Amino acid sequence: MPGPVNQAAVELYSAKAKPASIVVTTVKSLDEALEYAVKVCQDKEKAKPLLDVPGDARKTLAAPAVSDEVFAALAKKVEGKDMELVRSGLRDHLAGLDVGFSVADLAIAETATAVLECEKEDDRLAAMICETHVVALSKSKIVMTSYDAEPFLAKALSRERNFTAFISGPSRTADIERVLTLGVHGPLEMHVALVED
Amino acid sequence: MTDADAALKNMKGYRQSLKGALEDNFLRQTLDKFAVQYRANRTMIFADMNERELIAEIADAKDESMERLEELYEQFRAEAGKKGVIVHRAATAKEANDLICRIAKENNVRKIIKSKSMTAEEIHLNHALEADGLEVVETDLGEWIIQLRHEGPTHMVMPAIHLSRHQVADTFSEKTRTAQDSDISKLVKVARHQLRARFAEADMGISGANFALADTGTIGVCTNEGNGRLTTTLPRVHVAIAGIDKLAPNLHDALRIIRVLPRNATAQAITTYVSWITGATDNSVNPDRRKVFHVVFLDNGRSALLKDPKCREVLRCVRCGACANVCPVYRLVGGHRMGYVYIGAIGLILTYFFHGHDRAKNLVQNCIGCEACKDVCAAGIDLPGIIQEIRARLNEEQGSPATSSLLAAVLANRKLFHTLLRFGKWAQKPVQSGQFIRHLPEIFASGQGFRALPAISPKPFRSQFADLQVKADGSPRVGLFAGCAQDFVYPEHLRAAVRLLTAKGAAVEFPQGQSCCGLPVQMMGERAAAEKTAAGNVRAFEAAKVDYVATLCASCASHMKAHYLELTSSDPALRASAEKFLAKIVDLSSLLFNVLKFSADDFRNRGDKAAYHSPCHLCRGLGVVKEPRNLLNLAGQHVESPEEDVCCGFGGTYSLKFPEISSTLLAHKLDGVEASGAEYLVTDCPGCVMQLKGGEEKRGRKVKVEHMAEFLLRNLK
Repeated sequence: MPGPVNQAAVELYSAKAKPASIVVTTVKSLDEALEYAVKVCQDKEKAKPLLDVPGDARKTLAAPAVSDEVFAALAKKVEGKDMELVRSGLRDHLAGLDVGFSVADLAIAETATAVLECEKEDDRLAAMICETHVVALSKSKIVMTSYDAEPFLAKALSRERNFTAFISGPSRTADIERVLTLGVHGPLEMHVALVED
Repeated sequence: MTDADAALKNMKGYRQSLKGALEDNFLRQTLDKFAVQYRANRTMIFADMNERELIAEIADAKDESMERLEELYEQFRAEAGKKGVIVHRAATAKEANDLICRIAKENNVRKIIKSKSMTAEEIHLNHALEADGLEVVETDLGEWIIQLRHEGPTHMVMPAIHLSRHQVADTFSEKTRTAQDSDISKLVKVARHQLRARFAEADMGISGANFALADTGTIGVCTNEGNGRLTTTLPRVHVAIAGIDKLAPNLHDALRIIRVLPRNATAQAITTYVSWITGATDNSVNPDRRKVFHVVFLDNGRSALLKDPKCREVLRCVRCGACANVCPVYRLVGGHRMGYVYIGAIGLILTYFFHGHDRAKNLVQNCIGCEACKDVCAAGIDLPGIIQEIRARLNEEQGSPATSSLLAAVLANRKLFHTLLRFGKWAQKPVQSGQFIRHLPEIFASGQGFRALPAISPKPFRSQFADLQVKADGSPRVGLFAGCAQDFVYPEHLRAAVRLLTAKGAAVEFPQGQSCCGLPVQMMGERAAAEKTAAGNVRAFEAAKVDYVATLCASCASHMKAHYLELTSSDPALRASAEKFLAKIVDLSSLLFNVLKFSADDFRNRGDKAAYHSPCHLCRGLGVVKEPRNLLNLAGQHVESPEEDVCCGFGGTYSLKFPEISSTLLAHKLDGVEASGAEYLVTDCPGCVMQLKGGEEKRGRKVKVEHMAEFLLRNLK
C-alpha cells in the first residue's frame, strides 16, 4: 500500500532503530537495496557451520520472498562474485546462511519494528537462520504506532494460513548475568535499507 | 527442586533456605545491581507514555475478557478449527501432560524442542514427556542452562539470573565435554551451535503463547532470542500451550499489552520478535506441506479463580515478572524462595492457587507489604491485598498460628488491648533501659538483636491529651488518629503534631473511642478482628465534627483508606459513615504543607541536614511524594540518599517473622543514609521510626532518627 511518506514516522523509526542495534542505511531504490545486500554479504566473514556437516562452499545469500523480476535483478548482481544465491530449500542451509534478504510489508516507527508477512517456510527461515538479515523498507510503509498498523495486521491475521513477524533488531539475550548479547538463535546483525519512493 | 520443595513446606526449613540465600554473595550482588538498574531503566522506557492510563486500560480490558472467557474460548476454537488448528482444553495439569504426550505419540514424535513457556513449567511438562521416553530440549538460553543443571527457573523472564558465567561455563563444559571459556559472548555461541542441531532434528516444537486472539484464531508469541521462531517453524508438529487467561478478543488487546509487557519485563520498548501464527502454516517436512498445529488451553484452577471475586484479578497477570524485579525481599533471597514455579508476588499467589496450600503457607508470609509490586504491575493487580486475603484463608483452613489468634483476640477488644499495653510498661521494667528495651526474654528475641526495640511509654498519648489543653475552637478542625504505635510508644510524635497544628490556628480533637487501625491483624489474615477494629474507629469519629482526620502513621492511613469500606460492607449505615470518615483522612505532611500552608517564615532554618526515608505506605499507599521533602527544605536541608522509597524492612510483624531479611534491608537503608552525610533521618511513620531508630541505636547513633513532626517542631519559630 504505497501511500505518502510520513516524514515524522521515518525520523522516529531511524531514531528508535539505533538503540535496537539496527544498522540503518538510506537507498534510492529497491535495486540499490539489493546492491546493499550483496555488498553486506561480500564484506562479511563467511558463516561458520553450526552443524556437523560440511557447510556451503561459498557464502550464501537467500532471497526467497521476492518476485521473479527482483530475484533476476539480484542474480545479476551476484554474478561473478564468490557467492551463492538461493531462493528455496532453506532447510538445507540450517548449518549456516550468510545473508537473508527480505522486503518489509510495513514498519512501526515507535519500536523500530519491521513487519513481515511470511507464511512460506523459506521466507521465514531466510530471516531466522542467517547471520545477517537485510531488510528493504519503503519509507511510505512506516507508520507511527502499533495501533496504526492494525488495519494491515487485521487483514493478515484473518487469512486461513498466516505467519506475521514483528522484527525489531538482531536476536538477543541477557540470560547470562543480564549482559546483553546479540546473536543467539537468530541473526547476529540486522540491517535496514530505507528505500526512498 | 525437591529440597527446595520440602523447604517450602515447613517454616524452619524455609527460614534455613532464606539464610542460605542471604549468604550467597553472587546472588546478592547480581540482584542488587539488577534492582537498581531495572528501576532506572524502567523509568526511562516509560518516559514518553502515560503509564497509569495504559495500565488501567489493560486492567479493564483483561477483566472484560475474563468475563467473556467461555465465549472467547468457543470463538477461538471455531476460528482456529476452521483454519486447520486442533484446539484442546485441559482441566488439570495431568490432563494437559497426558494430552501432549498423546499428541507426540500419535505423530510418531521422538525428539522435542521447546521455547520458553511458564505454563509448561507450571505443569512440569518436561517430566511427563521424559517419563514417556521422549527427548525434550529447552532452547531459550536461560531455560536450557537450568535444564542442564536440573533446576527450576528463579525468574519468570530471566530463569537463570541466579547463576554466574563461571557456573554456566562449567555446565556447558560438562555438556560439550570440552573446556568452555567463561566469556559470555562465547557461551552464547556455544548455545547457538549446540542447539541448532537440536532444531534441525526435532519432530515437534512446544511453545507458549502470550496471546490467543479469539477473532482470528491466532496465537502471539513474544521472544528475544529467535528460538521461539525456530521452534514454531522447523518441526513438523507444533503444540502451543497457554493458560485460558491468555485469551483476548482481538489484536488490539494484545497490542495494548505489548506496550507494557516488555517495558515492564526488561525495560525494552518491545521484544525483538513477536510472532503471530494463524492456521496450519507451511511446513516442508509434511507431505501436504501443512504444519500439524495443536493449541492446548490449560485451566488448572483458573475457572475457579474466575468465580472468586476477591482474587479473580490474578487472571489479569501478563507474566512480565516486574513484581519480582521491584520486590525488596526477592532482591535479597532470589527466586527459589519467592515462589514454587511462578516467582515474585504473583508467584506467592499462584503457588497457593496452582501448587497447593501446603507449598504456599510459608511463602505467603514472606511479603513485607511495601506495595512496590502493586505500583508497577502491568495489569494493576492488588498483589499485596491478595496475599493478605490468602493469609486469611490459610488461617481459616489450617487454623491461625497461636500468636496471630492471640493478637486478633486482643485487638478486637479495645479496652483489653489498652489495658494490656498499660500493664506492658510495668512488665517491661526489668528489661528496660531508658527509651529502649535492654534485652527481650528469649522467646521474643530470636534473631531480633539487630535493632533495639522501644519501650512502652509511661503515659500513653490518650491520657496526655487533656493535659495539653488544646483550645476547642479554631480552623480547620482536625481530629487526630493516633494509631497504637504513637499512642503508646511515641506519644511525643503526637504532642509535636498538636503543637504544629495549633501554631497555625487549627483546633485539634482526640476521640477517645479510637483504637489500633487493624493493619496488624489484616496482615496476619485475621478477618473478624480487622472488621471489629474498623467498626470501632469509624464510630469513634462519627461524633467528632472535624474537617480532617490527621494521621502521623502512613500505614494506618493507607490501611484504612484501602480496606475500611470493604471491612464495613456488611452494615450499610456503618459503611456510609466509613465513607465520610475516609474522605477526611490526610497524612500530617500533606495537611501541614497543602492545607495549613507552612512556609519558610514559620521556621528558624539552621540548615539541619536531613535524609528522608519515604514510608512504603506513604509514597505508594497514599501517593504522597513531594510534601515531606518540601517540608524538610523549609525547616532544614533535605539531603538525598540512595533508594529513599525502598522499604526499611519493618513491615510490622514481618520483622518478627523474618528477622534475617528485615535486618538486611535495614542495614542497606542505614548504610546509604550514613554515607549521605545527613545528621538526621526523618520519616513519616512510627513503624519506620521504630525500625530505623532501633537500628541506629545498635550502630552507635551516627544519625538521629526523628518523625517529621519532631523535626519540624524543633525548628519551628
